[in-house]
Amino acid sequence: MIEFRSVTYGFDDVSVLEDLSLTIENGEFVVLVGPNGSGKTTLLRHCNGLLTPDSGTVLVDGTRVEADLIAARSTVGMVFQHPRDQFVAATVGADVAFGPENLGLDRPEIDSRVTAALEAVNMADREDDRIETLSGGEQARVAIAGALAMKPSYLVLDEPFTGLDTPARRSVRSRLESLSDRGTGVLLATHDLREIRDLADRVIGMQDGQIIIDEPPEQALDDCAELAIL
Amino acid sequence: MLTYVPDDTLAHRLDPRSKLAVQLGFAAAALTHTGPRAILVLSALAIGMLAAAGVSPIRAVIAARYALVILSLAPLLAALTLGPPWIETDAGLTTALASYRVLLVLLVSTAAVRSTRVRDSRAAIQRTIPGRPGHLLGIGVALLFRFLPVLRADIQTIRDAMAARLGAQRHAHERAGTIALLGLSRAFDRADRLSLALRARCFAWNPTLPPLSFSRLDIPALLLATTLLCSTLLTTIPL
Repeated sequence: MIEFRSVTYGFDDVSVLEDLSLTIENGEFVVLVGPNGSGKTTLLRHCNGLLTPDSGTVLVDGTRVEADLIAARSTVGMVFQHPRDQFVAATVGADVAFGPENLGLDRPEIDSRVTAALEAVNMADREDDRIETLSGGEQARVAIAGALAMKPSYLVLDEPFTGLDTPARRSVRSRLESLSDRGTGVLLATHDLREIRDLADRVIGMQDGQIIIDEPPEQALDDCAELAIL
Repeated sequence: MLTYVPDDTLAHRLDPRSKLAVQLGFAAAALTHTGPRAILVLSALAIGMLAAAGVSPIRAVIAARYALVILSLAPLLAALTLGPPWIETDAGLTTALASYRVLLVLLVSTAAVRSTRVRDSRAAIQRTIPGRPGHLLGIGVALLFRFLPVLRADIQTIRDAMAARLGAQRHAHERAGTIALLGLSRAFDRADRLSLALRARCFAWNPTLPPLSFSRLDIPALLLATTLLCSTLLTTIPL
């Protein structure tokens, strides 16, 4: 379970999250919507300790994120908005292996995780490809594989459909669907709720650093439109 | 910190040419006056300039942290000798004071950068230094201050990407190597895109620059710059 308890965060005297409380259950698929600057990315970055709250607490499976960053970062996989921002190696295989190597696993285990993660995103046998030769959709899938190789219980994705064409969107969407079916919790920020609504268990709408909608997806589309956050 | 921030402080209202003159005067004075009294006066002046730009001295020092590493190492290296006595305190102390004076110059520059729009800095340089050298310097400064924040953001993104997948568990030298390599590759990539964007938007060597005008507020700043420059000349030129 990922739990935000009265989290407040700001920078340069601007408040981004205001006394925000939220719980995401194991295996739940939660979609986060809201206009630019509403605090979605900031909220996501608290989940694995890339940001630390000014006040309040973020707990992952009952442990404060700052108290055990290694546990938080291996439990919560993070996929950045722009896949290119996430790559730290020149080839697909090396990049996906980056996380498992940091966990100190032995080589056969790392290789097996890389293979499994790439298979999960339909990129098997592409380990030796250079990152810059991949299309936008392929880069998005490798970015997801990089997070999956850590075997996370939760996957946090920041606008994963940005800049992708329709086939690439479908491909990423179907990967998320199969992950969710296998019990991985998903927290996904997007501007387009229609794209992902049928996969979601819950929709959270944000505005000015606060949660203003938290409801099942059936009601969310109308309410989001009414509140002009979509 | 190393970018312009809109505000209405005293420094923001000064003509950029005055700020350029004060920076030059301060840098010249800091390089020539090495005594403890002069350093005290220069420190007070630097703090005053930061206050005039609405910048906290602590935040300015934090902004200069990367330069501080080199400035802190310099006295240690200067104090070391290759034989007995191994450490020369006087040499280390002289270099430490020199490092401190360089830090003061950086703080004054921070105040100027914080309070001057990039276009105004470019205009001030091009109007002060005539001809091709002024154009080159103006464009160089403008590009540097537009490019620097983007590069810093890129480096931060690389660090975040590594941290998100436990990159902090790796040895410091390995992390530094990865950041340097990726940072360099992204810097070249950014430079390519910037060059393309400049060409696409009809980059000109001599565009219409924003108008600049002195006001009464500039008189004390120009007097300060003149005093600093005169004090330097009086120290360096034998009468």
